[in-house]
Amino acid sequence: MKPFKILVVEDNEGDVEMTQRALAKSPHPCSLTIANDGMHALELLRPEPGTGAPLIPQLILLDINMPRMDGKDLLVAVKSDPGLRHIPVVMFTSSESPTDIRECYERHASCYVVKPFNSGKYTQALHDVVNFWGTISRLPH
Amino acid sequence: MTSTMLRQPVTGPDALAENVPKILLVDDRWENLLATEKVLRPLPARIFKASSGNEALSLVLRHRFAIVLLDVQMPEMDGFETAMLMQEHEGMAGVPIIFVTAISKEEKYASRAAEIGAVDYIFKPINPDILKSKVAVYIDLYLQREQILRLNAVLSQSNEELERFAYICSHDMQEPVRMMNAFAGLLAEHAAEKLDDGSRRYLNFILDNARRMQKMINDILTFSRVGREDIIVETVDCEAVLAEVLSEFEDQIRETDAQVTYGHLPRLEASSTLVRILFQNLIGNALKYQDGNRRPEVEIAAVRQRHAWRFAVKDNGIGIDETFRSRIFTIFQRLHRKEDYPGTGIGLSTCRKFIQLYGGEIDFVSAPGEGTTFQFTLPVKEAPLP
Repeated sequence: MKPFKILVVEDNEGDVEMTQRALAKSPHPCSLTIANDGMHALELLRPEPGTGAPLIPQLILLDINMPRMDGKDLLVAVKSDPGLRHIPVVMFTSSESPTDIRECYERHASCYVVKPFNSGKYTQALHDVVNFWGTISRLPH
Repeated sequence: MTSTMLRQPVTGPDALAENVPKILLVDDRWENLLATEKVLRPLPARIFKASSGNEALSLVLRHRFAIVLLDVQMPEMDGFETAMLMQEHEGMAGVPIIFVTAISKEEKYASRAAEIGAVDYIFKPINPDILKSKVAVYIDLYLQREQILRLNAVLSQSNEELERFAYICSHDMQEPVRMMNAFAGLLAEHAAEKLDDGSRRYLNFILDNARRMQKMINDILTFSRVGREDIIVETVDCEAVLAEVLSEFEDQIRETDAQVTYGHLPRLEASSTLVRILFQNLIGNALKYQDGNRRPEVEIAAVRQRHAWRFAVKDNGIGIDETFRSRIFTIFQRLHRKEDYPGTGIGLSTCRKFIQLYGGEIDFVSAPGEGTTFQFTLPVKEAPLP
């Protein structure tokens, strides 16, 4: 099975660690690229000319609260870019705020997942996300 | 904090003068205006004079008055007509108008004045002392009202700031507490064999407290969302909401062999979030506050009243002592040690905050040792029963 290419946009080192741990054990193999905030993610997705090939992930796993450029702003940037907007964006955040949930869907997030408190459930949620987007769903090439 | 906020910003040369109450005198005869002005001059107020209804109206558009003294008999536009036109102006809402007149004290004039909304009536010839003390009373009322409005503005601002603070604080604390729990859990897994009993106990303290903190943060967030977010009113099937809530308590009901019964519950126009929060907290409390010596019984019922539905959640638990009545709905108030009955002390205050915002009420009756019945009302938005 070809590894599923995921861009993880997350500023919290602990969450990066948890996500890497969880997806290392995923039934569907994954290859992760980590960006520490929205700005960093955009640099990877839309590199300056001459600085290397752009990253084209199959899925973006996106936190909301981040410095420099937060998840909602990156979401808008991705969804308004003709070269990027086909990429499903899964919000993965601590926020249970109804306002955040609504605003993310309004900005065309593919789905919104609240990071489970329990670490077993956290791992399971990521496995489910990868299983759904990597196995069940058909994605554009 | 409060004292600095009370200081009003000075926005222009007239800012201070704005705070001095303004009196408007309206009379077609200049000598009357001057005489009245002389009587009122000792009062802490600025006096404006108008010699016609039209002139008075144009002043009303530019100034906010504490009181208007209005001559009834004037050429062109009389006092009644002037008053009626004045009251169409928004800034005149609640401003007392005193009619001053020489005409006889006939009932019909007094009642006409009352219809317009005048608060008082003075007859000529004017007794200067009575006039002065009357106006002084109205000036006092005006100043008190202004003071209350200012304090209300300051209070509601600081209240908003506090709520915002609580919300942001608890929102941002979710992440670190989740991390503490997750990595303490991982450590417990990884190092299980290497740790001695003492160290494992320490790790369990960290895990227990992380979970408690998470529960508190969640409860604070729910509390502060009430009022921050719009209340969505929709058709709520209370029996369906109850079924969902009961399924959350499934394990607890099985473990304690609790008996939960309910009669017919209505479908009504309400907020489903509100109904859920009420059921969650009241049923949760009914199941929790038990002494363990008998089978917990919880009964949920609803009766239609003229303007509301009244719900009751009745239990056979430990009850609430009357001395705690005033504290029971106060946030963070806990009546028991956490070892006996764990909790955050936020649930009932969330219930009360939400239900008051919605226009309902919540209360309880209790007999210690026998049980408690919490009752709440949800106002009916459609037509009341005859």
